[in-house]
Amino acid sequence: MTKLTINRRRFLGTAAIGAATLASPAYLRRASASGGEVNIWTYNDFVPEAFKKQFEADTGIKVNIRLVDDQGKQFNLLAAEAPNPTVDIMTVAGHRFLQFIDSELLAPLDTGRLSNWGNINPTFSESDWSTINGHKWGAPILSGMEVLAYNTELVTPEEARSWDVLFSEKYKGQTAYIIQDMMSIVMLKMGYDGNMVAYLDDPEKAAAIVEEAKAFLIEKKPLVRKYYDSGAEVQQMFINQDIALGHSWNGPAAALINDGFPLAMTIPQEGSYGFVYTYNIANNAPNPDNAYTFLNAILASPEIGASMTKASGFISTYKDASNYLTDLEKKSTSFSDDELENLQFFRAEANEMKYGLVDPAVEAIKAA
Amino acid sequence: MSDGVAPRTGRGPDTTEKNRLTFWGALSSWTPYRLVVGLATASPRRQFLILAAFPLLWVLTQHLGPMLQMLRVSFTDAYPVAPGVEQHFTLDNYARFFGDHIFWQPFFRTLIFASVFTFCTLILTYPVAYFLARHVSRKNQMLMLLLLLIPFWVGEIVRTYAIMILLGNTGAVNQLLKSLSLIDRPIPFMYTSFSMGVGIVYLTALYMLLPLYSALEKLPKSYNEAAADLGASAWTRFRRITLPLTLEGISSGCTLVFLISTGFYATPVLLGGPSTTVFAETIAGFFHVAGDEWPTGAAFATIMFLAAIILTGAFQKLMNSLRKGDTN
Repeated sequence: MTKLTINRRRFLGTAAIGAATLASPAYLRRASASGGEVNIWTYNDFVPEAFKKQFEADTGIKVNIRLVDDQGKQFNLLAAEAPNPTVDIMTVAGHRFLQFIDSELLAPLDTGRLSNWGNINPTFSESDWSTINGHKWGAPILSGMEVLAYNTELVTPEEARSWDVLFSEKYKGQTAYIIQDMMSIVMLKMGYDGNMVAYLDDPEKAAAIVEEAKAFLIEKKPLVRKYYDSGAEVQQMFINQDIALGHSWNGPAAALINDGFPLAMTIPQEGSYGFVYTYNIANNAPNPDNAYTFLNAILASPEIGASMTKASGFISTYKDASNYLTDLEKKSTSFSDDELENLQFFRAEANEMKYGLVDPAVEAIKAA
Repeated sequence: MSDGVAPRTGRGPDTTEKNRLTFWGALSSWTPYRLVVGLATASPRRQFLILAAFPLLWVLTQHLGPMLQMLRVSFTDAYPVAPGVEQHFTLDNYARFFGDHIFWQPFFRTLIFASVFTFCTLILTYPVAYFLARHVSRKNQMLMLLLLLIPFWVGEIVRTYAIMILLGNTGAVNQLLKSLSLIDRPIPFMYTSFSMGVGIVYLTALYMLLPLYSALEKLPKSYNEAAADLGASAWTRFRRITLPLTLEGISSGCTLVFLISTGFYATPVLLGGPSTTVFAETIAGFFHVAGDEWPTGAAFATIMFLAAIILTGAFQKLMNSLRKGDTN
């Protein structure tokens, strides 16, 4: 039998480790026993690499990330795998919730299992779009918006006050936009509800509005250099100076600004739309406990939120995340009160009618 | 020197005492096994079927299987099928194409682009193949072919981005023209049918080059020499001898390039502009947008597939008649 000897230093050390273990978040204690894996579908840079490594080391849970670049593709992939998906957590934009929920692809989020839920800014976690059918469906992580981005060496801030500059002869062949998103913006610019919620009871008017926006974009087609699809494309076009200005998501534009590219972005006076990316748990997820462990861990501190902003350029939904950003990063992720006053979030209520009208219109514009 | 074991003949199962103890030895002398093997290999036809079974299974499951599945999806009204939704068979997805003219423009544009790009690829690669096959020594031909193959070790997207770097406003071509004082402002090469064409020709060149090289390489030099002796000019020799006798290579190369060009997606998306939307983008749109648009996408893909097959069939027929006409 080995004689147990303990000295003062070892005792203090053991006591400290014990205290740290007891004080560590509940997710670590639960997960250390579980191990296994968690499968995540998300956009590039939405899970910070340092956080992933730390989480895997702390919990023994392997994080498998599959990159996505499109909400529609993600929906189709998940629908094809239903009712037994391979994914645990996916990244759905808030205004697309309804479609996923209607198809029974998401599980309601049990916020009671997320002790760090309170770290999210209530503007995002408690806003009207975040509760559907009496449930929360996702943990907001990053916020984005449709902005007008412009090369500051070629376009003046005064010119960029209105979306009209995107359709001006002066910048013919030097503009680009995502045509699907531009449909909503053009409707807003024309004084209509780009979310189309206002026309839920009047489908004829909705069709007429979409027709008007379609006709406008067909008329302006000779002015545009490129209809693009992904953030990387618009960044490439700005860097190559193929375009002087364009509609963009704030994330890709902010990333260029942070890299020192002479770019600025604004929410024009006619207004624009915002959206929120959320982490959601799939219905019948194969590793639900690990999914909750991951969600609670990623919501644990504002530094994690800030690192997601640094990597993606989108605005963190975490309280106090901006405290961990540099001045340039703060500048590239903040807007004036006047600009934010013109911002409204995408809504999902009329999505079926909206996309039923907008998708064929987009095809018609491309084909024209 | 004998080791006490009867020598193996190489024919029939080994029935020695030693091998009978091993699994294969025991199996090969087991009567039912011998009966089955005997029946299976009794005729050349059966032997062929045994050999072909795995490749056939591969083609059926990995190549034809997904296509047939997509064909089936094209006749359904919902896919992927959401819980609680019943799937029905319908022709509506095909009717949608014929009933809405907005889809015709990218469809015909694709066929026209594919034809033009195929022709451009032929014109550009024929001299290269001719030079390789007729003017490069046998020893260097393989080396040059290898050099031409190197870009094909890189993926389509990377090669497409290389074109973007080349043709962008700040790209190598514009920089060169600027440094030569030939232009003040960059020429907007990118996001036009020109940049798209450059990309597609670059990406498909080898598919044209190899059949052409093969055809030209087989052509005996003595034919041209005899024609030259009889007073035929270089152009006449090319028109009356080289071209007709390489029609098979032209036909194969054009068919390959045309079929590949009709299906290109990433290159037109990345290099093309608003006025160059091709049908593959339209089809992809149906798969990207959420909901039950997969059947429409599958139907449109089937329509394009059939159109491409019919056109290449007609082209092959034309080439065959040209070849026959030449022979007669």
